[in-house]
Amino acid sequence: MIGEAISSPCLSARGIWKIFGNRPRRALEMADTGASRAEVREATGCTIGARDVSFDALHGETFVIMGLSGSGKSTLLRCVARLSPLSRGSVILEGEDLTAMTEAELRSVRRAKLSMVFQHFGLFWHRRVIDNVAYGLEVQGVDRKTRHSKAEEMLDLVGLEGCGGSYPHQLSGGMQQRVGLARALVVEPTVLFFDEPFSALDPLIRRDMQDELLRIQTGIGGTVIFVTHDFDEAIKLGDRIAVMKDGEFDQVGTAAELIMNPATEYVEEFVKGVPRVKVLRVGDVLTELDGPAPPQRVPAGESLETVLPLLVANTDDIAVLDDHGTAVGRIDRAAVTRLIQPQP
Amino acid sequence: MTAATTLDPDSLNATADWQRRAMWIVVPLALVGLQLIFAGTRLPEHLDETFSDPLDDFAGWAQQNRSSNWLFTVIFRPLTSLVSTGLETIEETLLWVPWFVIPIAIFLYIARTRAWKSAIAASLAIIYPGLVGLWEVTIETLALMGMAIVLSVLIGVPIGVLAAFRRGFDTAIRPVLDAMQTIPAPVYFVPMVMFFGIGPVPATLATVIYALPPVVRLTTLGIRGVAQQSVEASTMFGATRWQTLRKVQIPMALPTIMAGVTQTIMMALGIVVLATLLGAGGLGQSVMDTLSQRRTGRGVATGLAVVAIAAVLDRLGRAVVGQDRATAPSRRTVLICVGGVIGLIIFGRSANYIAFPEMWETRAFDPIDDGVKWARDNLRWFTRAFNDTVVSWYYVPVRDYLTDSVAWPVIIASAAALGAWLKGWRLALLNVCAMGSILLIGMWELSIDTFVQVVAAVVLSILLAIPVGVAAGRHRRVEAALSPVLDALQTIPSLVYIIPAVTLFTIGVVPGLIASILYAIVPGVRLAALGIKQVPTESVEASQMFGATPRQTMFGVRIPLAARTIMAGVNQVIMLVLAMVIISGLVGGGGLGFETISAVKNSEVGLGFEVGFAIVMMAIVLDRSSQAIADRVGAPEVAAH
Repeated sequence: MIGEAISSPCLSARGIWKIFGNRPRRALEMADTGASRAEVREATGCTIGARDVSFDALHGETFVIMGLSGSGKSTLLRCVARLSPLSRGSVILEGEDLTAMTEAELRSVRRAKLSMVFQHFGLFWHRRVIDNVAYGLEVQGVDRKTRHSKAEEMLDLVGLEGCGGSYPHQLSGGMQQRVGLARALVVEPTVLFFDEPFSALDPLIRRDMQDELLRIQTGIGGTVIFVTHDFDEAIKLGDRIAVMKDGEFDQVGTAAELIMNPATEYVEEFVKGVPRVKVLRVGDVLTELDGPAPPQRVPAGESLETVLPLLVANTDDIAVLDDHGTAVGRIDRAAVTRLIQPQP
Repeated sequence: MTAATTLDPDSLNATADWQRRAMWIVVPLALVGLQLIFAGTRLPEHLDETFSDPLDDFAGWAQQNRSSNWLFTVIFRPLTSLVSTGLETIEETLLWVPWFVIPIAIFLYIARTRAWKSAIAASLAIIYPGLVGLWEVTIETLALMGMAIVLSVLIGVPIGVLAAFRRGFDTAIRPVLDAMQTIPAPVYFVPMVMFFGIGPVPATLATVIYALPPVVRLTTLGIRGVAQQSVEASTMFGATRWQTLRKVQIPMALPTIMAGVTQTIMMALGIVVLATLLGAGGLGQSVMDTLSQRRTGRGVATGLAVVAIAAVLDRLGRAVVGQDRATAPSRRTVLICVGGVIGLIIFGRSANYIAFPEMWETRAFDPIDDGVKWARDNLRWFTRAFNDTVVSWYYVPVRDYLTDSVAWPVIIASAAALGAWLKGWRLALLNVCAMGSILLIGMWELSIDTFVQVVAAVVLSILLAIPVGVAAGRHRRVEAALSPVLDALQTIPSLVYIIPAVTLFTIGVVPGLIASILYAIVPGVRLAALGIKQVPTESVEASQMFGATPRQTMFGVRIPLAARTIMAGVNQVIMLVLAMVIISGLVGGGGLGFETISAVKNSEVGLGFEVGFAIVMMAIVLDRSSQAIADRVGAPEVAAH
């Protein structure tokens, strides 16, 4: 949806484990022999926050980790961002193992490549907006003039022209998170972490912010790791979505993959409420051409909703075109019928 | 499943019930038995000399080697001269500057933050001591307090920061801080005298020790209270720890740290009078003098000067941080103001308007003396009766009963039983150890004496504080009327209101009792009011919807829900009464207080240690026990916020 240069892995998580409690080693041993979350808790008092989670976020991709509260999504993000120590596993950023670094090495990687937007904004309330945004540059030792001019640019980008002199508490919630966003973007990060950034905002502002993020992301094109509890948000923003439950990934895939083939009942629960025809694209309901391409043609990226009238209007096959205009298949009417039927 | 849980729960309860009932018979029997065995035996004061003798020896050694040993020549003497140079410089500068420059400078400095009202209040407050002829002594005290506060901040903030990051360090210093706040200040006056002699320097350092805990605690609290996400944001941008601390944590914790500094200022002013025992001079000495002259009016005049300093320092402290860059005055304005001040100094010096012009003296307040004298002469029927009732119907008989008639093991065992009943064997053991050690070092009788007085002061304070506090919590107007009174009671040196008490009731137990009540009642009232106010409206409305009378709502809902907070107030009342033990000793209260004062005055290090130890032990027992009572009566934490 957003990605243009999706290719090689940018950030890889390898076998991440996070155990909370006083006896992590014992808990790990138990879990290795297959003990469940509840059993481990019963025996050791430890909670498994993340259980052997691995994923690759590709360059330019928005990778969404979706889960309800207690699913371990924020725990996982904090481990990957190296804000909290992990019990086992490694995090590889462009070939460098973040988990094997000294604090000083990690710091220089952070200065050069990482950035984060927080749920409750994590703003510095004692600093003016401009100094909040410029903070990342300030700790790098960038001189005042340069960092202020860059920060001003960022403020313009997120729609906060002229707010630099205010203090964050003088702004509305949505504007505060824009400050958070500008602050994260100003350092031109390779990877941007978002920890439920919009969940503290009211629904309309949340939608604005999502649109804003999509717009900015198209222009900047870094890798985004985005944590949310909102499935609609996940679908809207994510190139790929990982559905997380009890510290593990239930399923990882594009929105269409999740909707068409939910791997577990849990995922199915989320998929149920989604307006499929709005989310799915023509390319998602493709079947092979059996003969020459019919005259009726639509691009693969077209939303299913917009071609529904066409499908209803006549019974002819409709060809689907890829980006280059070659026909790659036809719309599978049976699949569409299944999709628009009411859910059991 | 363990074996215990498979047992029939009813039979378990029955066993526990039976045991509990048996205790009601066993414990009294044991107490009677102890009484019978130990009645009339001598107190086992085996450790009477164990600690005090070596300390006295050390003090003697220190006295002799003051000029030769490295401890003094390398550490204490240079430290003394450093602090004393600082003090003298501040004092001389403030007296060198023409007097009228000081209020103007204070005004400008605070006005910088646009806090006009507090700028005006502070500059007027600093003029007051001059009006009543106390300018020079006030400056003397101001220098000492300023020095002590600056040192407290310089020492306290780093310690607090360290404690915020190192759990181990925090756990290590916590009991030390507790002790520093519990030990009545004069107790560490004794070692101060030993190392630094008498004068403003040991007074400053003692003030620093006494006033340090709030800065440390609130710095730790403030740093820990900084939103974790802000710290993480800083970390994510690759800030070093030092950068995060300097740019994020300290600035964000600053309001809390400053609250600590304000408390430290108040604490420092709290011992301004006691510091005269160390030769601090200044306003404290003036208050002491008025006490010996029994001049209430002059005492009040001097006390108000202390309040004035408190107000000035408090507002200056706020002005140090209360500055938004958005509202900062321009560089030009600052330059003009600084230039103006310098101009005024030159003008004042050259025109010789330096000393505060003589206006009134503290004599201006003498009419108050007449009022007190009138009360003494005409209220004798009451004061005499009150004095006699307290002394001959309560204090003397109870003290004598506890020291002479009840055998010591009975008292200790009772305290242990009480501790076990309240909180379990740990508290019982603590009580036994604390009281046992008081006994062994030979402080038993003095402690009983003090204890009897403390109990009287605590009970009377609570009887007064709770109804007043409840009323204040219910009615905004009562609270508004009480607030300045409570503030005054906490800032005016307690010796000031001891003066009329001494005039009315003569030297003895009663003036100390009254002063203790007046001083300690404040947190009792405040926390009772707070507790009542915090009761959720919904609970009250629920009670009213069931048709409860206001009385039923008060005793059935409000007070039980406020019990936890009210008990926190009771605990503070106890601690403040203990802090007043020494002051009471100054006016004939006897007991540990008197011994402390004589130990300081005569530099009896061993005795000072023993008395201090006894007071601290008593404080620990009373503190833990009252907290245990609070836990028992308190409703479970209300989760409605």
